Amino acid sequence: MDLFLQYLANGVVIGSTYVLVAVGLTLIFGILGVVNFAHGEFYMIGGYAGIFAITVLGLPVLPAVAVVLATAAVVGIAAEAILHKPMKNRDATSSIISSFGLAVALQNATLIVMGPQPQRLNLDVSKIPVLSSLPTDFGPVFLPQQRTLIPLTMVLLIAILYVVLRYTWTGRSLRAMAQHATVARLCGVRVERVAVVTFMVGAALAGIAGMLMSSIFLVYPIVGNMIALKAFTVVILGGMGNVAGAAAAGLLLGITESLTSGYIANSMRDIVGFVFVILVLLFRPQGLFGKAVDRS
Amino acid sequence: MKTLLAAIAAVALLAVAPFGLGGYETNVLMMVLFFVILAVGLDLVSGYCGQFSFATGAFYGVGAYTAAIMSRDLGTSIWLHLPAGAVVAGLFGLLLGIPALRLKGHFLAIVTIAFQTIVYLVISQWTSFTGGQVGLTMPNAGPVRIFGVTLFEFGSLRSYYWLTLAMTVICLIVAWRLIHSRLGREWVAIRDDETLAGAVGLDTTRGKLTAFVAYAALAGVAGVLTAHSLRGVTPDDFTIWISATVVAMMVVGGRGTFVGPIIGAAFLATLPEFLGKFAEYKMLIYGVLLVLAITLVPEGVVGRWRARTSR
Repeated sequence: MDLFLQYLANGVVIGSTYVLVAVGLTLIFGILGVVNFAHGEFYMIGGYAGIFAITVLGLPVLPAVAVVLATAAVVGIAAEAILHKPMKNRDATSSIISSFGLAVALQNATLIVMGPQPQRLNLDVSKIPVLSSLPTDFGPVFLPQQRTLIPLTMVLLIAILYVVLRYTWTGRSLRAMAQHATVARLCGVRVERVAVVTFMVGAALAGIAGMLMSSIFLVYPIVGNMIALKAFTVVILGGMGNVAGAAAAGLLLGITESLTSGYIANSMRDIVGFVFVILVLLFRPQGLFGKAVDRS
Repeated sequence: MKTLLAAIAAVALLAVAPFGLGGYETNVLMMVLFFVILAVGLDLVSGYCGQFSFATGAFYGVGAYTAAIMSRDLGTSIWLHLPAGAVVAGLFGLLLGIPALRLKGHFLAIVTIAFQTIVYLVISQWTSFTGGQVGLTMPNAGPVRIFGVTLFEFGSLRSYYWLTLAMTVICLIVAWRLIHSRLGREWVAIRDDETLAGAVGLDTTRGKLTAFVAYAALAGVAGVLTAHSLRGVTPDDFTIWISATVVAMMVVGGRGTFVGPIIGAAFLATLPEFLGKFAEYKMLIYGVLLVLAITLVPEGVVGRWRARTSR
């Protein structure tokens, strides 16, 4: 039982990362209709930006987060200019191929610049005010503060995102775009601006996830491959474009993987999600939490 | 007629090429031929039938591992491996084709990537069956006998090159015949408008499944040839990078054209040789080319050229 709780806690930590990456992915899909295969690279770039800010520049944590966010903003603007702007009047296949090409290019550019060896972010938790006072033992569960930070950040960011989407003008225009782009434009929504904001939000969420995770796991040029695939799994399980569904499915996938590697075999952990997604697409294509809609 | 003569001249030129080239160049040419088979195969399912696939590397790997595992466990020869590789890869194609019946666009793209990843994870982690990360080695294909008379020995690079060339020609003829058959026209109808194709009485299920099987079987043949020519298999030869490369070849050359993928494969597979010390940037260049091609020339080089000449 104790071991089960530990697996559960580990699953929540990993799942929180999936949530952060997948929510951005599902927003970009839901609002702009772009299937962004380069989303894992947003995560990877966030990880490297964090390492650069903390290890190379020697910044404290909060300014380092600012560096990651600034990088994510640039990445978001660039990705929108490549994947969305020129593809507006084309079929969906063009942006899929283009984002795939962008992912390949970004991974290999990083490989050339940073080298293939995995790197790690040394996050000194004792310098972060609230976090350093948190316990590391929760009954039978042991969680270092670097790990506890991830679910906490996830909840905070998703809460902020919810408030922004619900109550601000920007959030309303994002949701209006998701419902009907043409009508939104007629109502005075600046569609071009919404597209850029959406990509920036997606890149920021994934970038923060990358930064936090690289204090536990290592970051390397092709780390985004697996993360992007996991995020797609989550997006499909949650229903394409469904933010709440992605959040629930992300945690579910993290916990499932953790239990699989704990009780079945570690080599099965990555496969289980993909098998699951193929089954879901076959039998419930709208996702576990989605409503049946016309997908043509 | 002119096209046929040009094709025969090209094959004849490729057949005598090893006499004028060194071992390294012959090897490069052989790699080009593998990619020609892969890209033309992908074009059947993506270019003609309009179904996405980022799983070329998986079928390529299934073919190669079929040959390697049969050779290890059964001691069979390449003549059995070629049909076996095509059949096993074709069955996997059928397996992937079934979800493709219900899915379109991005859903299909994601499933093919998931499939590619599952196949890679299985061949790289099921060590007792596939050799894991180290892979498997292959013996020489051995002598070729007809009625007990040894025609020639497999072993030299040239013999593998000629075999690959012969198989490439056969694969291209098969692809050509498929495209210009009734089935090929059904594929195009499904690509252009699936609802309409179904409404006029075409069996879209059969159409899509046959396209996936044909594509997978061609990739399987390329896999068997690669496994024998390189004398072994390792999982890292069958990653999603290969799939990405083949997609780039098809898109740059021209989707839905016969010569497009051939030109794309020849161009991108030989490109690293001309880059000299920048050859390590080849995947970066492929990625950038893919983005540029789909943005600026979405119909591909051949498609653009045709549009211009027909005007």
